[in-house]
Amino acid sequence: MPQGNKANPDPLSVRQAGSSDPAASGFRPVSARFSDQLVAVLPRLRRFARGLTGSAVEADDLVQAACERALTREHQFQEGTRFDSWMFRIVQTIWIDQIRARDVRKEEPETEAERIGSDESVRRVEARLALVEVRLALKELPPEQRAALLLVTVDGLSYKEAAAVAEVPVGTIMSRLARARVALQAKVGGGRGSKNDAEAKR
Amino acid sequence: MQKPSDEVLIAYLDGELDAERADEVAAAIASDPTLAREVQALGETGAALRAAFDDVLHEPVPDRLLAAARGELDGEKVVKFPDSRKRSATQPAAGWQHWAALPVAASVACLIFGGGVGYFVATQSPIGVAVQPQEQAVAASSNWLDNVAGYHKMLVNAGPNDTALVDIPADPQSAGGHKLALPQDFHLPDLKPWGLAYQGGRVLFIEGRPATQLFYTTDNKALGPVTVVVASTSLPDKAPKPEQRGDINMLWWCHHGHEYAVVGTANLGYLWNIHNDLAWQLDAI
Repeated sequence: MPQGNKANPDPLSVRQAGSSDPAASGFRPVSARFSDQLVAVLPRLRRFARGLTGSAVEADDLVQAACERALTREHQFQEGTRFDSWMFRIVQTIWIDQIRARDVRKEEPETEAERIGSDESVRRVEARLALVEVRLALKELPPEQRAALLLVTVDGLSYKEAAAVAEVPVGTIMSRLARARVALQAKVGGGRGSKNDAEAKR
Repeated sequence: MQKPSDEVLIAYLDGELDAERADEVAAAIASDPTLAREVQALGETGAALRAAFDDVLHEPVPDRLLAAARGELDGEKVVKFPDSRKRSATQPAAGWQHWAALPVAASVACLIFGGGVGYFVATQSPIGVAVQPQEQAVAASSNWLDNVAGYHKMLVNAGPNDTALVDIPADPQSAGGHKLALPQDFHLPDLKPWGLAYQGGRVLFIEGRPATQLFYTTDNKALGPVTVVVASTSLPDKAPKPEQRGDINMLWWCHHGHEYAVVGTANLGYLWNIHNDLAWQLDAI
């Protein structure tokens, strides 16, 4: 609970969470700046979550859970630190918790097939299929490699930033990235051989 | 020199090596065609991965997530925003048109006025996990160009007749009420002297920053289509630098807060001439 915000008398800087009845919903003041930052980073969180889960619905559930957790832990966020990295860490933590709890790592790729509309031109479908192939290949990677790829290769975080999000040393990020990139290339590009596939599982 | 490890090669592609080590790897790549192909393939895979998830950034954010971010979810119930709800400058709009309009406005405004018009993703800079601008800049430019090459391929593969990929049609009359149009005071680079006809533009988000991709075609198959990508950047001015991603050649440069790329399968001499013309036209605007 962000204690500092409780005392804030400025109605514009504090939003009340939940229903209009504070007693019924559990009053949870949210600073406007905090929620604005959260809204701003939502598209990137959704992309990250989509890559992690491989499912649009599951990804949005994950992001929603991350938002709710972030709001309850607003006081833990340190001003002057990167908000996006903090949120990535929350998303990843919840996702890993879910994996451990449910032991569910994959979803059948029907969502990908649904996105390929029947009225698209053949070329566009082919381009889509290539992207689908990449997404499916990503889903086959170990979770920690998937996360490293999404943070660095897709979202452009530096190794140091990605290491902070994953809470591992930079060297571990380097190792995960190398295995992941080589494995991904082998899957989608017919690149280097099975040796790397085996290594990727490590 | 001993062949660099996979970790080093990937770090090289990601711009994470210091200058001395990067030079060593570049020299190794230059002297080993097999290694060069390997690195090229790794780079292409990275670009494909980014392209595979780029569309998520363009999707409208579901109301339930906006509500969750504002602490306005009441149990399972999703709070609907009233129409009159005031949006902050950093809040993405729900519709794709609004999403697309923002980068267009930012990119085009940058192009026309030369001001430091940015977008929240590019400008948010809370620190904390220590930000190292130089490292980020190197990585960003490499990733940016991977994306630029990937988007070129995607557009060329789709072809000029696939209007679904074009956000800004060449003919504003064909906008059909749902496409974007360039502002009337925008001076589109004229590349007709090079036999290139403008076919339309596309709004992109590359590395979290808005960019505009302009698509030109030519009857000369040896030259092939050319795309020009423009985005705002915090990088200092940089002289044109040739880059290659697979069969795609690029000239990339930075000027007055914007970065540009001329992209195509044509040889670099041809692209260099186009760059000269573009640089002159853009400066003249």
